[in-house]
Order: sequence, then structure tokens, then C-alpha cells
Amino acid sequence: MTLEELKERIRAAGVTIADNRLAMVRKLLADALAPVRAMDSRAVKTLEPAVKFSAKRGPGDE
Amino acid sequence: MSDEIAYATIAELGARYRKRELSPVEVTQALLARIEKLDPILHAFVTLTADRALADARAAEEALRRGDTRPLLGIPVAHKDIYLTRGIRTTGGSALLADWIPEDESTCVQRWHAAGTVLLGKLITHEFAFGLQFPGHRFPAARNPWNLDHVPGGSSSGSGAALAAGLVAGATGSDTGGSIRGPAAFCGIVGLKPTYGRSSRAGVLSLSWTLDHTGPMARTVADCAYLLQALAGHDPADPASSHAPVDDYLAPLARDIRGMKIGVPRAYFFEGLDPEVERAFEEALGTLRQLGAEVRDVQIPSIGATPSFLLILMAEAFAYHERDLREHPELYGEVLRERMMAGALITASEYMQAQRIRSQICDETAEVLKSVEVLATPTAVKPATPFAQAYDPEFGFPRSNMPPFNLTGSPTLALPCGFSSSGLPLSLQLAGRPFEEGTVLQVGHAYERATQWHTRRPPV
Repeated sequence: MTLEELKERIRAAGVTIADNRLAMVRKLLADALAPVRAMDSRAVKTLEPAVKFSAKRGPGDE
Repeated sequence: MSDEIAYATIAELGARYRKRELSPVEVTQALLARIEKLDPILHAFVTLTADRALADARAAEEALRRGDTRPLLGIPVAHKDIYLTRGIRTTGGSALLADWIPEDESTCVQRWHAAGTVLLGKLITHEFAFGLQFPGHRFPAARNPWNLDHVPGGSSSGSGAALAAGLVAGATGSDTGGSIRGPAAFCGIVGLKPTYGRSSRAGVLSLSWTLDHTGPMARTVADCAYLLQALAGHDPADPASSHAPVDDYLAPLARDIRGMKIGVPRAYFFEGLDPEVERAFEEALGTLRQLGAEVRDVQIPSIGATPSFLLILMAEAFAYHERDLREHPELYGEVLRERMMAGALITASEYMQAQRIRSQICDETAEVLKSVEVLATPTAVKPATPFAQAYDPEFGFPRSNMPPFNLTGSPTLALPCGFSSSGLPLSLQLAGRPFEEGTVLQVGHAYERATQWHTRRPPV
């Protein structure tokens, strides 16, 4: 993630991040995003089912 | 007060109460005096509840006289200050909530109270369980009793420091990315992150609700078992709470571990490992083998993608704190504020991809745990960090061995397995199948009985 990309995201989100913290935030996001950018987005299974039903109610589920 | 009492186990205290060798009031008074002496240098407590503690202790004495046999009766505990306590301030370690006195009480606090514990007070937490207090913060950061110049780990920093210093016999912690196990590792104590859904999160300030776990911290594995027994069980107030039956967590401690299969996932967990940590871990594996366990390497193919857990954590943390972050940013500590603001910069797609990666890691871990009963890794890749390093704003969020088991929700135990040459504790991490806390405790207890690491005391 470039500094420009980070600043663009900050503008879009409408938040404020101090200039002297931009490097820290950039590294934080870059490290966390690396696995996402490396993944094959069509190969990893989607999160389903979106809705689950149970015919049996447990105690306290009313 | 002798160290013998300050460091007594829950079972020892209970036995001595019932023999009339000690009383809960005596122990409570002694611990309050010890806290008064040591806490000015440790900063483990944010609020001391001396009157409440003495009232609880007197009630426990009365119950003991009536023959009450509850194992936690009269046991002195304290809660991490993100657990809501009715009528007692709950700060979250923050300036934002510095004077907040809740009207509600968390389920965990209620359950330990119902079990007869004595509440000594509230323990400092990293701010909102995510950010170390920097100098100048409304609340000082807790210090590590093994070396005051080092952090005690976080975010359950006060819990770790108080237990290591013999100020309490048990404490609550919470664990979103390692906040029970990290302080346990750095302070030379035992911490158990139960299965997601096993111990209620109701009435506990959230950091990241799909990763947050509550659980016990103590000085021995058996003490964690006693404390978990009182916490575990369905809570309708927590939407993620499980209906799974609650096991007897003490019973497995009587069993040996001969023939038990233990897997070691070296990929990811051994990256950047301190040589002293590696040596202590390999020796721990040797001990487990001597005890009859079958230890072998295993693979979790996607485990290297674990750092994406931070996308989930930061996005959910921002979602939880958004209003206050936008309206009162000045009330959040430095660095923490930026870490939380970073959650606003994550796109919906990135959050979803991180959850998909998580699902993949869960599936692969479940598959591995069909062939072994427990996974073993070093808890932390290094001993406790010096404050001087942690206070560097560029320090960031170091790679950690603990978040994989927040992603999977697995029951995970951290317990002492050695010391560095500089005298700092080192720790073994054991993770098991969902709701098999008993198995994890069994292995940990067998290891603990075969070693003496848990008997060492810090130089405070």
C-alpha cells in the first residue's frame, strides 16, 4: 500500500489520522492485507449458508 | 504475609479454610496489605474494592461455617476492567470511561460471585483491550513483576501482573488476539482461552465480537480448571453462547497422557522465533514425550494467512467505537486511536476476504485435529518486550502465535515452560478441539506436574 493510497482511503472514510502516524498505519494495513491480496478470490469458498434454521430449540432460545 | 499464602493455589486455600487453618478474612486482609505495598510499583489495579472484598470474605466465612463446599468459596479474585461491575467503576483502561459506574454486571462477574469468590477489585487493561497506555495517559500501564522495565503483555496486563506478584488467586482476562495468553506467557502464569461460546461475553466491553473470548487466568492449570468450571455454560445474554454441555474440567487432571497425540504445526509458528524460546519449546516437547505422548509435526496449509485477522479485528473495533472515535477522538490514547481509525480504511470486500480466509484456516485446523488431540506451539515468539521498545510508535502490531486460535475459536492454554537467560518467563501454548477444554487442561496439568517452572516467583 502506497502512502497515496492510504491518504485516499483516509479521505474516503472521512476520518483523521495524524501525519506522524501514517507510516505506522500503512504498515499495519499492508501486513494485514498481504494475505488477502495473495488469495485466489474465486478458489476460497464463500461463507454459506447465510441463514441457518434449527427445528429444535435449545433452552433459553425463546 | 508469607509468600506461601500469597501464592497458595485455590485447592490449597480451600483445604486450609476447611481445616480452620486460615480464614477468608485473614487472607483477604493479607492480600489487601500486599496490594498496598506492591501495587504502587506494579499498577496492576485500577480500582481496589477493599470494603466489598471484606464483605465477601465475611460472607464466605459464614458459608464455610455452614459446611458450604463450593471450591471457589473465599477465593480472592479480581476482574479485568472491561468486565462490567454493577456499582463499581469500569474504565476499559480509558479516559473515555474513566469515571463510568455501570448499572449492569457481566455474566462472568455474576458467576464468580455466585461461586463465593472474594472481589478484590478491577485490574488495568490495555485501553479498550487494544492499546498500551503511553506515558501521560489517565491510567499508568501495568509493569511486569519479573522485570519492571518490561511489559507484562496485553491486553489483560493487570491480570497477568497481579497473579505473578501474588496479589490475587484468580483473575478474568479476555482474548481477541492473545490477550489472555500473552500476559500469561510474559508473566509466567497460566491462561486459558476457552472455546468461542463456552464462556459468556455478555457485559464485557467488545473489541472485535467475532474474535473476543473471555476466560480465566491463574497460577496453575488446576486453578484455571476450577475457575473455568464456574464460568462455563450457556448464557442467553450472549448471542454466541453455546448450549454444549459443560464438562467436569477437574476430572481429566487425574489422567495421564500416555498415547495422546500431540501435533506441532511448525510453519508460521516458528517464524522469527527467539532461540531461547525454541530451546525451551523443544525441551517441553521432550517432556511430553517422556510422559508418553506421541508428538509429531503437522501442517495447516493456510496458517500463513493469519495476519489478515487484523482486518477483522480493526474493522469490528472501529464499528464498535465509531461514534466515540468521531465525536471524542481526543479521549482515546495515542497510537490506539490510529489503530482503531485504521478500521475505517478497510473495504467491505477486504473484510469479507479475511473472513473467508478465516473459514479456510478453521476447516484445515479441524482436519488436523482429527488426527491429533492437541496442537503445541510456543505461545510468544519472544520474551516480554521492554517498555522502551513498546513505546516506539512504529512498534506496530508484531506477528504473533496466538491469533490463529482466535480465528478458529479453539480452546487454548498458555503455561510456563522455562525462562530466558535474562530471567523472563517463556511459555507453551496448547490448543484443542472445540469444547475439549478438559483435554487441553489434562496435557497442561501433566506437563506442569513434571516441571517446576510454575513454582518460581518474581523478584518483587
